[in-house]
Amino acid sequence: MEIVVITIVSGLVLGALYALMASGLSLIWTALGVFNYSHGPLMAFGAVVTWTVIEKLGFSLLPAAVIGIVAAALIGAIVERFLVRSFYGNRDLLLLSCMTTLTSMIIIEKGIQIIWGSRLKLLPRIIGGEINVFGAVISAHEGLIIIISPLILLFLWRFMASTQTGRSMRAVGQNQEMAHLIGINVPKTYLLVFAISTGLAGLSGVLLGGIRFVLPTMGAEPLLKAMTVIIFGGLGSLGATTGAAFILGMLEAILVQFVGMYWTPSILFLLLIVVLIFRPTGLFGSK
Amino acid sequence: MSYLLDVKDIVAGYGAVTILRGVSIHLDKKESIGLFGPNGHGKTTLLHAISGLIKPRQGHVYFNEVDLSSVKPYKIVKMGLVHSPQGNTLFSAMGVGEILELSAFTKRAKENKTRNFEKVYTLFPRLAERKKQLAKTLSGGERQMLSIAAALMCSPEVLMLDEPTLGLSPLLKEEVCNAIAGIKATGIPLLIVEQDVGFLLSLVDRLYLIEQGEVVREMDKSNKLAHREIMDIYFGKVE
Repeated sequence: MEIVVITIVSGLVLGALYALMASGLSLIWTALGVFNYSHGPLMAFGAVVTWTVIEKLGFSLLPAAVIGIVAAALIGAIVERFLVRSFYGNRDLLLLSCMTTLTSMIIIEKGIQIIWGSRLKLLPRIIGGEINVFGAVISAHEGLIIIISPLILLFLWRFMASTQTGRSMRAVGQNQEMAHLIGINVPKTYLLVFAISTGLAGLSGVLLGGIRFVLPTMGAEPLLKAMTVIIFGGLGSLGATTGAAFILGMLEAILVQFVGMYWTPSILFLLLIVVLIFRPTGLFGSK
Repeated sequence: MSYLLDVKDIVAGYGAVTILRGVSIHLDKKESIGLFGPNGHGKTTLLHAISGLIKPRQGHVYFNEVDLSSVKPYKIVKMGLVHSPQGNTLFSAMGVGEILELSAFTKRAKENKTRNFEKVYTLFPRLAERKKQLAKTLSGGERQMLSIAAALMCSPEVLMLDEPTLGLSPLLKEEVCNAIAGIKATGIPLLIVEQDVGFLLSLVDRLYLIEQGEVVREMDKSNKLAHREIMDIYFGKVE
């Protein structure tokens, strides 16, 4: 019994983190048709900036986290402006932007290493202590992640569905020309999409930094998972991405528990391939 | 005396291809004009150049005496020059009501939103019935109506319509034509690209015939001779 609860809870934590990461990636994908590889290192960037503000400036976690998230969003905006924007309208946009965002991934990752060194850092947890969930003991921080992530996604979903800014962010992905013609500033909207998306990366980094060490490469594995999540769920919709994130998180927790850490990633990818063979548009994809 | 919209010697195209070879047209205050001519001779390109989607290589577009050469498309919409593009190019995964709501995007359009919603739903009662429906599930005619309605939600001072009746059944076409006449009646000057010269003649004050990227004839509708000339061009000479 206890092992079932532990597995479920750990699956929920993973699912919540993947959902945050993947929703950001998926936002950029739906608006621009671009995969942003700098999403991973920007998780680490958000975390190290938060760490520095706490350690060097003596801020408490919450304001420091806000600064860390804004810093990640700022770098995201810079990536859009200087590494992606010049390729809009090019029919090889996907390939070109893959190359440039991969470049930015390496630069940010190495930059963090040079500036912050490789000393292991850990961020303080939002709340300390532990909680007991039906016999499974987890840190209160992890419990909070399970609650915060769906709330943020719900907020994001409402924002995209019912504000003019959110609508315009969906509109530019569906029909760029028409977006221009109803008065939307399309480049500015793309910039905003990048900033919000990478802000979410920063937030994921801050949350993850309370459980795992803050390293330049801390985002690499979650990035890979987030990519799996959006392909698995079916590219494009926030709901599909969130659903897929929790399914994948749960699967991973079960596999780690019963098969072991070593083979889990391989099995997950094999499962992804099987799903794609039978549903090439992903689990919840429409066409 | 300056025109409301003044297009002077526009040379434009896509990539290495030149499509417009020095086109000049104008729209006076309180008049409507029509463009017609064979397909692929530059009418749509001209609208794209006016609304800033492509930048002309030479020539100028003046709107209310402002040179639009280096003005971004969204700012041109803000100034009140609105272009409803050809075909059913909409936000396919959005609902009808949502698209109209989004189209009231500029500050000016927001201020007039309630009034424009009323206007749009009066002109196109079908859209009022389909507020919740996704754009991709609409019929061709309904999408065309939605496209015009979205342009109206932008609160245009001048409205450019690109082949609004293209591919519609006779019944739907009549409905759309009536709605366009209704828009004109509310005092919005129109610039219409249309193949149906009969419809154009009933609606606009002047016509331009565009061929090979040039204005080959300008016709004043009130001029009987010109009227005859248009008929001859389109239906052959009757001796």
